[in-house]
Formats: sequence, C-alpha cells, structure tokens
Amino acid sequence: MGAALAGYLTFTLMLFGGWELASRLVLVNAELLPPPSEVGAILLRLLQDPRFVADLGLTASEVGVAFIVAAPLAISTGFLLGERLHLAQTFNPIVHFILAVPQSVFLPVFILAFGIGYFEKVLFGITHAYFVILVNSFAAVRSIPIPLVAAARVFGATPTQIYTRIYLPAMLPLILTGLRLGMIFCIIGVLLAEMYASRHGIGRLIFSWGEAYQVPELLAGILLISFLTIVVNEAMRFAELHVGRFNARASTA
Amino acid sequence: MSKSIIQVDELGKTFSAGRAQVRALADVSFSIEEGRFVTLVGPSGCGKSTLLQIIAGLVGPTTGEVRIEGERISAPMPDKIGMVFQDPTLLPWKTALANVEFPLDLRGVERTVRRRRCAALLDLVGLREFADHYPHELSGGMRQRVAIARGLAQDPRLILMDEPFAALDEQSRTRMGHDLLDIWEKTGKTVFFITHSLTEAIYLSDRVLVMSPRPGRILESIAIEFPRPRELDIIGSEAFGSIRNRIWHLIAEAQP
Repeated sequence: MGAALAGYLTFTLMLFGGWELASRLVLVNAELLPPPSEVGAILLRLLQDPRFVADLGLTASEVGVAFIVAAPLAISTGFLLGERLHLAQTFNPIVHFILAVPQSVFLPVFILAFGIGYFEKVLFGITHAYFVILVNSFAAVRSIPIPLVAAARVFGATPTQIYTRIYLPAMLPLILTGLRLGMIFCIIGVLLAEMYASRHGIGRLIFSWGEAYQVPELLAGILLISFLTIVVNEAMRFAELHVGRFNARASTA
Repeated sequence: MSKSIIQVDELGKTFSAGRAQVRALADVSFSIEEGRFVTLVGPSGCGKSTLLQIIAGLVGPTTGEVRIEGERISAPMPDKIGMVFQDPTLLPWKTALANVEFPLDLRGVERTVRRRRCAALLDLVGLREFADHYPHELSGGMRQRVAIARGLAQDPRLILMDEPFAALDEQSRTRMGHDLLDIWEKTGKTVFFITHSLTEAIYLSDRVLVMSPRPGRILESIAIEFPRPRELDIIGSEAFGSIRNRIWHLIAEAQP
C-alpha cells in the first residue's frame, strides 16, 4: 500500500514536472500544451465560477440518475437470467450481441427520438451501464457455490435466509465489479451525448473549448474529469477488493 | 440393547436423465442404534451420497421412507440431524467461529449463548486459537474440523458424514479419523459415515454396511468388534486384514 502510494506520487510528479518543463522550455508548442501551472490556475478559477459548477452538477446528476436507474434493473435482470437458465439460453446471446456493438453509433437515433435534453442524456447513460452490469450480475449468480446452498438447507436455512445469507454475500464481489464498470460506461455515455449535442454540461463545455481553441480551459476540464472519474473508480475498486478478499481461493472451501 | 435412532425402509431412488431412467438405490433397508458409529462403504457411484442426501432431507426418495426417532424425514431436520460434507462448505466470508455459529445464527439463537457454545466446540476439535481465522487461512484438515464443529453446533442426535476426509492426504486423514473417534466418544452422538476407504471404515466403526454397485443395495452388515478406544496399530493386525478382505470380496463379486 505504502509502496504503491509512493509510486503514484512519483508518477504524478514526473508527469506534471515533465509537462511543466516541456512547456516552459518550448519543447512543445506552448499554445497547444500550456504549462500545468497555468492550467491549474484556470481550473481554480473555473471551480469558483457558479455557471461552471452548475454545468458540472448537471452532468453529475445525469450520471447519477442514469446509474441509479440502470443498476437495480440490470442486477435484477442478471439475477433472473442466472436463476432461470432456459431464459438465459434465449437472452444471453442477444445481450452479448448488444455488448459487441459500439453504442455510440446509436446516438443520432437517440437524438432523433428523444431530443438533446436531460432525458436523452440519462437514457444514453442507462443503456451504456445496463448491459455490463447485467452480464456481471448473471456471472455472480452462476458463481454461487451450490454445496454452500445445500449445507445451509441442512442447517435449517429458510429460502429467504438462503438469499440473504448465502446468495447476497457470495454474489457481492462480482456485483461490485459490474457496478464499477457500469459507472465507467455510464460516464462515457453521458459525456459522449453531451459532447455530441447539448446546451449544457461539462461535456458540452469541453467540446466547445476545443472548438474555440481555448486550450488552457480544455486541459483544465480534461484534468478535472480525469481526476473525478479516477476517484470514483478507486473508491468502488476499494470496496470490491475489501469484499472480494475472502473469495480469492476459497469459493468452495 | 439400545433402541434404533434411525430406520431406513425399502428405500429406492430413480433419477430421470432426459428420457433415460437411472436407478440409484434399490430396496435399501437398515437401522442404526443410538450412539453407534456406522459406516457405509461401496464403490464410487453406487448411490452412497444419494442415500445420505435422502436421510438429510435434501432430496426425497422414489419409494420407501426414512424415519428418525419414529418421525418420517421429508425435509432437513436441523435440530436432529447435523451434517459434514465432502467439501468443508464453509462460508468464505465468515471466520471459523462464525461458521460454527452459522446454524445457530440461522435459528436466532442469542449471540452470547451461541458464541460460548461454539467456542467450546472449536476447542473440542482442537482449533481454539483459530477462531478468528478465515477459511482460506486454514489447511484442508482444519477446515474439515471447523465443519465437524459446525455439524455439532445444533446438538443434533445424528451426524451424517459424506466422505469428509476424502480430499486430505493419507497422514492427515488417519489423524483426523483418530481425532474423530475421540470427539465421538466425548459427545456420544450417533454417526453415519460414508467412505470408500475400507481401512477407514473398519477402523472407525461399530458396524460396516457394504453397498453394491448401482443400483445400490445393502449387501451385508458387518459388526466390527475391536475394543475401544482403538489405537492405529489395529490396522496392521490379522483380524483387521481378514475383515478388509471379506468386504473387498463382497464388493468385487457384486460388480456386474
């Protein structure tokens, strides 16, 4: 843990140090790559700008709503398919076909059907998150060791107890993996929809800064989004590792 | 003469596999007296585990019935029947102690009561210091000891054991058998044990039931009369060898 942290810090310092030097010494075009000190100053200014914060909040709300809608739907569909294998035989191939197609190609269709407002962003986030969470939820059900269920029954577990005391903890690691990947997909979906066609949101801002050649703002936006998504991902990964540490090699033990 | 605790009457089990019918058990009858250690031996796939699952109440028989203390078994009876499986089947996310407590936890036994009782059981199986370890931190033999303690947690009358030491190496297996006898003598439970090791069966048991290949039926019931407590030395004795030969011939001659 300590070594990893030291590694991250060294990497970050080298990245920003190298960037600052490259920019200051004009090894790169400073208009295309302004130094991080300048980008950082812009970022600080942006974070104090209520309009920027409102755009950021709007995007976060789109992602949040999409995720909160997609997650329970996807988990329960995955659970149903995992428990009813005759359904899985029909639907699993369809799910995998859909996962294989880049969903971005459907964006113009979404815009035609649902406009370019809040609802369309959320919907595009949902469809991005839904399938990857579903696939992991299905795998989670299939990963439950059957002998554990038999043992619990012999010890008098009721059907409800089998779900809450065996299924749930056994499924949790893969469910969490699904949720984490689903969150990443959800963010991708929402940002893509904002960048492609939108009036508000951080995706829209980043895209328009690029078009207007406002490179410091553009880089500030990119840095901020990178930072936030890394934080979200790491937090979810931490939960995943914490829960998964028992299941390392003990699934039938 | 002690009374029989469990009675198996003309038990038959047929599975349907697609259109084919597989007859796993045919006409199995026997009974076990209270406090005895009885072992069932038979070739792989003879229906031993099916028989045990029926007694555990996990699957229903096609014909016949099993009674425990006169009561017909149609579902698991956790207060009367404990079980130790071939895999330890411990919950990986619970500590050794919490795993032993699990059956009591399911039935809502108060935490301090179950903790005290289960700590004593862990002590009985020699794992007092490992109460807070997780299953993946324990060896195969230790996991099976936890499973034995868990099987005893609800203080059942009968313990079913489905080849519990099959996955262990020879040395741990012998050691576990020896310790199991010790536990059995201390607790006075009735044990119904399944194995395909003839040595294990004879060393452990008061009586060995010999089962035929599928469809399984009881070929013979052989009383084992070595005095207890038993030492491992008896395994090398002539008397032990002749019983083993007899069982071996019974099984070999029954092969189709």
